[in-house]
Amino acid sequence: MDSLYLLIPIALLFCAIAVKLLLWAINSGQYDDLDKEAWRILADDEPAQPAPPETGRSPQQEGKEP
Amino acid sequence: MSPSTEAPEKNEAELCYHCGEQVPAGVKLAIDIGGEARPMCCPGCRAVAGLISSSGLGNFYQQRTAFNERPQQQDSTTLEQYLIYNDPELAASFTTIDEDGLHNASLLLAGITCAACTWLIEQSMSRLPGVERALVNLQQSRLDIRFDPARLPLSEIFVRVENLGYRPRPFQTSTARLQMAEEYRTELRRLAVAGLGMMQVGMFAIALHAGDIQGIEAGYQGLLRWVSLLVASFIVFYSARPFFSTAWRHLKVGTLVMDLPVALAIGLAWLASTWATVSGSGQVYFDSVVMFTFFLLLGRFLEHRVRQRHTLTWFDAESTLPGAVTTKCDALWVTVPRIQLQGGETVLVKAGATVPVDAQIVAGSSAVKEDTFNGEHLPRAVTTGDTIYAGTVNVEAALQAKVLGSYRESRLAALQHSVELAQTKKPQLAKLADRIASWFVAGILLVTTLTAVVWSQLAPEQALWITLSVLVISCPCALALATPAALTSAASALRAHGVIVRGENALDSLSRATHLLFDKTGTLTEGSLAIADVRPLGDVGTQDILAIGAALQHYSSHPIARAFAGITGTTGFKDVNYRVGAGLEAHQNGGTYRMGSAQFCRQLAPDLPTAPDKLLYWVALCREGSPLAWIGLNDHTRGEAGDVITSAQQAGLQVELLSGDSSAQGPLLARSLGISTVNHGLTPQQKMAHVQQLQTKGAVVAMVGDGLNDAPVLSLADASFAVTGATDLARTQADFVIVGGDLHAVIDTWRKARQCRRIIGQNFTWALGYNICAIPLAAMGFIPPWAAAIGMSLSSLLVVANSLRLNR
Repeated sequence: MDSLYLLIPIALLFCAIAVKLLLWAINSGQYDDLDKEAWRILADDEPAQPAPPETGRSPQQEGKEP
Repeated sequence: MSPSTEAPEKNEAELCYHCGEQVPAGVKLAIDIGGEARPMCCPGCRAVAGLISSSGLGNFYQQRTAFNERPQQQDSTTLEQYLIYNDPELAASFTTIDEDGLHNASLLLAGITCAACTWLIEQSMSRLPGVERALVNLQQSRLDIRFDPARLPLSEIFVRVENLGYRPRPFQTSTARLQMAEEYRTELRRLAVAGLGMMQVGMFAIALHAGDIQGIEAGYQGLLRWVSLLVASFIVFYSARPFFSTAWRHLKVGTLVMDLPVALAIGLAWLASTWATVSGSGQVYFDSVVMFTFFLLLGRFLEHRVRQRHTLTWFDAESTLPGAVTTKCDALWVTVPRIQLQGGETVLVKAGATVPVDAQIVAGSSAVKEDTFNGEHLPRAVTTGDTIYAGTVNVEAALQAKVLGSYRESRLAALQHSVELAQTKKPQLAKLADRIASWFVAGILLVTTLTAVVWSQLAPEQALWITLSVLVISCPCALALATPAALTSAASALRAHGVIVRGENALDSLSRATHLLFDKTGTLTEGSLAIADVRPLGDVGTQDILAIGAALQHYSSHPIARAFAGITGTTGFKDVNYRVGAGLEAHQNGGTYRMGSAQFCRQLAPDLPTAPDKLLYWVALCREGSPLAWIGLNDHTRGEAGDVITSAQQAGLQVELLSGDSSAQGPLLARSLGISTVNHGLTPQQKMAHVQQLQTKGAVVAMVGDGLNDAPVLSLADASFAVTGATDLARTQADFVIVGGDLHAVIDTWRKARQCRRIIGQNFTWALGYNICAIPLAAMGFIPPWAAAIGMSLSSLLVVANSLRLNR
């Protein structure tokens, strides 16, 4: 159980790092817009390009090819 | 669940795919998006939707959760006006320059209706050459864009945003805005620190509690207590600081606030625990301290976030005026920013443009649509010497006018001022939580003191923790959350149904409404003229009359012309010209035709009889020597109006009609809809007096109106609705804005408000009931502080969960 004397300070250190990171994120404005970020994760990063109907291959076909 | 809702798919056949408004009969503007033909209501929507789809961003329509706003018709002048922002001096007010030469501009965008809009704007802006980064802040409707001015002029960015159907203008940072953003971050920092700290202290607390039960070596107990002290102290001094400062600030002026028992509980518990840790005896309550702090901060943070959102969508009439104006400078016409205009300068107001300042006409004659001020849809004819007002729309022909003064001196500014004034006159219904707060706090302090005194006589060593338990368990946390949680939840539910909630407290007033007042024009009616009656006077049939009328009106931008928009006109008309204030004249096969006022047509056909009656707006049509017809125009009643009024009456609301129109149409319309109380021909002042009179009699008044001309009376009403065609959001000042113009939303909102009131009642009952049951138990020493803290948190969570039921 003596390991507690080492492990607890390490846990506190990690906690301090987490707080530091979180404060950095808040200060750099990453939490300024909570409404959008909640939604953004669901949106596609790259919008689907309209594939040319004759020559284009559909994304599914591309996926199956080796 | 996917983020898309059914809303965009509903009634696809008749609603515009882009803005959700009804497609007028006869309009065929469908466009292919995602492999299907989508109906469009106007060329504006079609242009925007076409651009979105052709840039491969058609996915937007699946992702969005609300319809877009209907874009304004664009012409070269709207795009030209943005050229002024290429002037570095003007741009400097909202642009900063990096060390590597890139510019950062902030634009405020009107028309963002849901999160998908931000995606659309970001995606399409970041594809422009020269744009390095584009970020949209949804909460503030702000676009931050980083671009290379050498490759992309600023005006091009404005134009691109406008093309997507949003209306950009420079984002002016004010001190208040900066301060609010900083406060928001500070609160978030406090909350984050408290949350992470709570996890740590909670972990040690579990070990300590287990130790109490199983037995623990004094050395380990000491260690756990010391690290808990370290973390908890940080939280108390950093995160919980606002409680102490608020309590102290109010105590100095002699008022009791909710923060006082909070600060006492946190402070006492922390002091006692620190003493126990240092002396190695007694109990520690660090877990209770941090849990308590975290939950209080969380509740407060959520409440502030909602409040902040409303301050940012602040009504601003000035923002609806054009940013750039054309003015005469040494016999040359130049474009300058509107704010630089001086009294005495001559401005050019093109046809279709919004008048930028109050001005006196020096050349030209035209008609101006003044619905901003009087709600009328028919324009007023103006000529040299007449005054035109900022915010009105020049309908017919270009005008040159002498500027009378700055925006501050304008009639529009006076109207805005009267709106603000009316708001302060509104009877304030004190919030329940505020009303009971000081009594509640005094009660808590009394009970706590009594407990402390009694227990220090009975068992001095128990007195401290029992007192702490009472303080913690009586914490008004759930009580403080009861109202804001329910209001926020109801507001977001309404938003999903096309009602934007501007003033949440109005939900409370609305739920108690006794009177429901309707404005006529634009509210119960569509707000645009339609053909109601055709009385042929010669041998020409109705069909032909309408076809001739449509052919003539095709050349006019007068509101009457819209009534003929869906009719195919007769071909062959030449030399169509418009006589301001009179009507239209055209030639076909050598014959002259005229359409317009009786006087204007009698010059051509002297035996034209007088108009049939006064109930409709009559337009005459004649051929040289022979009158052809009287065409009666009317403002269509909204289809759902009758339904809505009936269900309001069934729900026990007194329905009244307040109309500014003095004609007989008001009472007639009221009778057909089943409204018995009608007040027509009222000036805005009389409307306000009527509402105030009802309010002094004890009525709670909900009022439904449209647009800016109703704004003063709307802001006086206890709860107000504005029905808007979605283009004029910035001009609408009401607690609830119904986007898309379906009156059913009035009743839906009322029901939601009633439900919200019930939920708030339940929340209060629970929070108070819990306190009343738990305080005696705590005072008798049955509840240890850690259980008190858990009970307090569970009670708050229950309140939040109950409020979330409104979201469905």
